Amino acid sequence: MDVKIYFQLFINGVLFGTMYGIGAIGLSLIYGTMRIIFLAQGTFIILAAYAAFWLFNTYKIDPYLSILLVIPAFFLVGAGSYQTLFRKVARENEFTTLLISFGLMILLENFMCVVFTTNTRALRTAYAANAFELFGFQISFVRSMAFVMALIGIGVVTVFLKKTLIGKAVRASSENMEYATLVGINTHRVNSVAFAIGIGLAAMAGIAVATTYAFGPFSGFIFSLKAMIALALGGMNSVLGAFLGGVLLGIIESYVSFFISSGWAHLISYVVFLFVLLFRPEGLFGRQRGVKL
Amino acid sequence: MRNRRLLFGVILILFFVVLPLFLDLENSYLLYFLFMTFIYVALTQAWNLVGGYTGQVTLGLHAFFGLGGYIIGILWSRGVIGYLDSIGMVVAGASAALLATVVGIPLLSKLKGDYFALGTLGLGEILRLATIQGGTLTGGPTGIMLPSSHFTNIAPHYFIALFIAIVAIAVTYVVSKSRLGLALVLIRDAESAASASGINILKIKVFVFAISAFIAGLCGTVQAYYLFNVEPQGYYNLNWTIYPVLMCIMGGAGTVAGPVVGAFLLSAAFEIATYYLPDIHLMFSGLFIILTIIFMPKGIIGSGEDWKRLIGLTVK
Repeated sequence: MDVKIYFQLFINGVLFGTMYGIGAIGLSLIYGTMRIIFLAQGTFIILAAYAAFWLFNTYKIDPYLSILLVIPAFFLVGAGSYQTLFRKVARENEFTTLLISFGLMILLENFMCVVFTTNTRALRTAYAANAFELFGFQISFVRSMAFVMALIGIGVVTVFLKKTLIGKAVRASSENMEYATLVGINTHRVNSVAFAIGIGLAAMAGIAVATTYAFGPFSGFIFSLKAMIALALGGMNSVLGAFLGGVLLGIIESYVSFFISSGWAHLISYVVFLFVLLFRPEGLFGRQRGVKL
Repeated sequence: MRNRRLLFGVILILFFVVLPLFLDLENSYLLYFLFMTFIYVALTQAWNLVGGYTGQVTLGLHAFFGLGGYIIGILWSRGVIGYLDSIGMVVAGASAALLATVVGIPLLSKLKGDYFALGTLGLGEILRLATIQGGTLTGGPTGIMLPSSHFTNIAPHYFIALFIAIVAIAVTYVVSKSRLGLALVLIRDAESAASASGINILKIKVFVFAISAFIAGLCGTVQAYYLFNVEPQGYYNLNWTIYPVLMCIMGGAGTVAGPVVGAFLLSAAFEIATYYLPDIHLMFSGLFIILTIIFMPKGIIGSGEDWKRLIGLTVK
């Protein structure tokens, strides 16, 4: 077999894992500040995919242009979800928030069933099948766009967290909520912002999904699980780590699907997940500090 | 007080035992509803032992439920056991308990809180995917069809489910009144204090995890005997974990009666929603979950004091 195939699989894996990565960054922000395992993340991804689908089919708005509409809308939805659903129970134990996320997931899934029907949808743009050649490798246009979007997303989130005052407050809260409150940080505001960004990133992942895959109302859960695996691989508290975790998961799945079968790919990614949880719970790229065990 | 509660329980059981005499065994929807509710009562108690009393939030109940069902499917389709075979059911439950022990030792010793929840969630997914890849042993994605010609009516399933539910309640009751129960609650509320007072935390956690798995496995066997087929999506379905968790929280986690109340109320609510709002009943369920958790985080039984205050029994 040609050695080129290994590189091609690697590229496919990276591009594939990008999607998990974007979802995982959102999860890491939400988990980092509020210790909420946000199961509905994947469902928000699919909701955004439907939004892009609907805008494209009804108003002929290009999916990459619809980013400008969908992401701000999801920011608001995210902040609103925090204020209505999680504000009251943010201080309760972790599994009440887990159950609320689950309830939200069921609610949204079935909302999408009613509004968009259970049919599997795919966004058929004129350029969906385009691919370009780079150093002799075939690279899909929509997937590399997803990769570029992910890089922009990471850049924006990193600048936000490092340079802005509220971003610094988010980081402070994720390291220690009590001390952050002591120095006068408004926890609810920080949490809303973290939630808004988390859901905003879900929207971006959703548009990337809409342009590359077929999806249905119930596709979200698998994305949540994959994003969680990515998060566990990369470390619960690191934005870049979460993204790298997603990419690593994509690479693992790409190689296993090719050499064994795609059925085993999922199985092996869960086994890797369990082992990482057991033996390196701070993640492969995470720092020990700040991770609560 | 305690005698009165016991008497109430016995009367309730007698009621459910004689009820089928007055109903049409062939088509009674009520019997089917009660059958499913008994299964949920047992599953909810199984979760209550680990999640409610010991405070270890497991999201892997469906792994043991599915395993129980599949062991019946595999053994029965190969003629090793027969229809409604009690030995087969115990073997299936014991296998689930064995799996819980083997998996529980690393998971419970290393993972706490959210991480344990995620780990158990992963376990269910691993079993589901392994079953799909299982080839002729598990029948792959379509599963195994079982000889349905044995079916006469729902009565045997009804009584077995009732029996399992009673056993699950009795186990929870006995545990909650024993030294073991005290140890569980201490592990939940102050793990380091439990460890300091000489409790072997890991041993107790794994033991309770195994009991819970045994009950969940039994529930899976009844489902297999009732549906006459086993398949990965239906048996390793996360709903078998999430509904019991919800019922437990709604009724009151860490109480004996809470899960029973929660299971009955929620099953009834879901049935009513399915009947009156056929298109959107799952949306309704999702909303119901959110509202319950936000407004009644301690559950119906757990909020006893709040109820009394509400109707003016106790002065604040």
